Amino acid sequence: MTEERYPINIWINEERYEKLKNAGLADMCEEMLAGLKVLRVYCTEAQKDKILKVFPTAKFDSATTKSIELLPRDVKDKIFDKIVEKKSVDIMEEFLSQY
Amino acid sequence: MGEIGHGGKEIKERIMAPSEAKEKIKGLTAVPVRSQIANEIIDIAYGFFTPLEGFMGRADLESVCKNMRLTNGVVWSIPILFDLSDQELSDYGIKEGDTILLTYDGNPMAIMEVEEIYKYDKKEICQYVYGTTEEKHPGCARTYKYKDNFLGGKITLVNRPKINPPFDPYFVPPLELRKRFREKGWVRVVAHQTRNVPHTGHEWLMKGAWLQTYGELPIEKPLVGVLVNAIIGEKRKGDYIDEAIILCQDELRKAGYFGDHNHMTTLTFWDMRYAGPREAVFHAALRANLGLTHHMYGRDHAGVGTYYGPYDAHHMLEELKEDLSITPVYSMNWLYCPHCGEITSEGLCNHRDEWQKFSGTVIRSIVQDGVKPPKLIFRPEVFDLVMECAEKYGFGSPFVTDEYLEKRTPVFNILPLE
Repeated sequence: MTEERYPINIWINEERYEKLKNAGLADMCEEMLAGLKVLRVYCTEAQKDKILKVFPTAKFDSATTKSIELLPRDVKDKIFDKIVEKKSVDIMEEFLSQY
Repeated sequence: MGEIGHGGKEIKERIMAPSEAKEKIKGLTAVPVRSQIANEIIDIAYGFFTPLEGFMGRADLESVCKNMRLTNGVVWSIPILFDLSDQELSDYGIKEGDTILLTYDGNPMAIMEVEEIYKYDKKEICQYVYGTTEEKHPGCARTYKYKDNFLGGKITLVNRPKINPPFDPYFVPPLELRKRFREKGWVRVVAHQTRNVPHTGHEWLMKGAWLQTYGELPIEKPLVGVLVNAIIGEKRKGDYIDEAIILCQDELRKAGYFGDHNHMTTLTFWDMRYAGPREAVFHAALRANLGLTHHMYGRDHAGVGTYYGPYDAHHMLEELKEDLSITPVYSMNWLYCPHCGEITSEGLCNHRDEWQKFSGTVIRSIVQDGVKPPKLIFRPEVFDLVMECAEKYGFGSPFVTDEYLEKRTPVFNILPLE
């Protein structure tokens, strides 16, 4: 059975979109909710639990979207920068290793 | 006969004229109260909590816990309690039979006739009311924080609260609100319970509930309204600030997504207990007192975490409906379907694989990331107002921060008695 994975939605504002375009990664974005651009970074159950512990403002939306929300913006910026650096959304293990 | 509220009891304001109050409070022992108790004093005095006339005594508390009814048989689901420590009782010298003066902001607020002083097992309260004794349940945490003695007895407000801007137009007590409904010609009014800035999922919950409530009524003139009754109480960091909640809810009317003919926003002072089904029953009583005929309930109404099933509240309301003077209206979730290109109900659309659900939490996350959501998801007028509120009231943030908690203007003050 495939392990359940939970997304962090990195919503793409203008600043982030510029960075993605400059890195040639604009195609990595998905479109959701009538036109919002988003990068979805998936976490394992263990990574989800660690995130909720390390960042107490974060919330797992268990009822509606099954996604990890309300990470502080600067933390999301760091995750975003790591994605741009690695040109991949598969970065959570490395990102969380520093915490 | 006056206005009839929850449980078939007449709504009577328990408020003393200032001239009489000045005399009555002379020589009474002054006991300061915290914001939760001040909120509940207002609710009792203005009739939001009809038929309660004061804080509960032991028999009512026990009956509410075990039978979900007051001792007079009226359905009531949440204990309304006033607590003091042994030390406070001793310091103030309070005993049964005394009349005391409750103060807030250092000024006289209400007199209380202390009929009873008693202790009660807080764990037992939690088990009955919240279905758990876990401290991480916010309702249990609040219960465990009560001091060790409960004081039961009638309350009379001696000093009306001064509601501060921008909240002042939204504080409309039950008797006044019922008058306004009559002036509008509404024969049915459906409640929308909220502690949120509205996204279009909320807007459609209201629109759906309005349609359900309209039912078989004639349509030649507007007969049905939605009352957004925002709960204003204790804030947690990360919540939307109160000013954004109340003003943005009203913005849906002002910006034309609703109109004066079918939409109104008011507030009730209450610290949420997150008691799920029991809180749903409490909301039914509260909104019946406000003069509402219907109450919208979505999934997991007033729940928290995974303590309650998504439809537990609906089941409890069905069990009690003969004793509630309000009709529950059950609402399915609204979501965005890219195939339909619109907000739709999960009970209508069958593009299930394409559905994109969204929640208040997701919208908060989008706003926090500095992104303006599309108008199908979040109305631009609401977004602009959220940002305006952040600057005007939130010290730069639409969400509650330490700075907001420390420096905000209170929703109400109790001023010196003139």
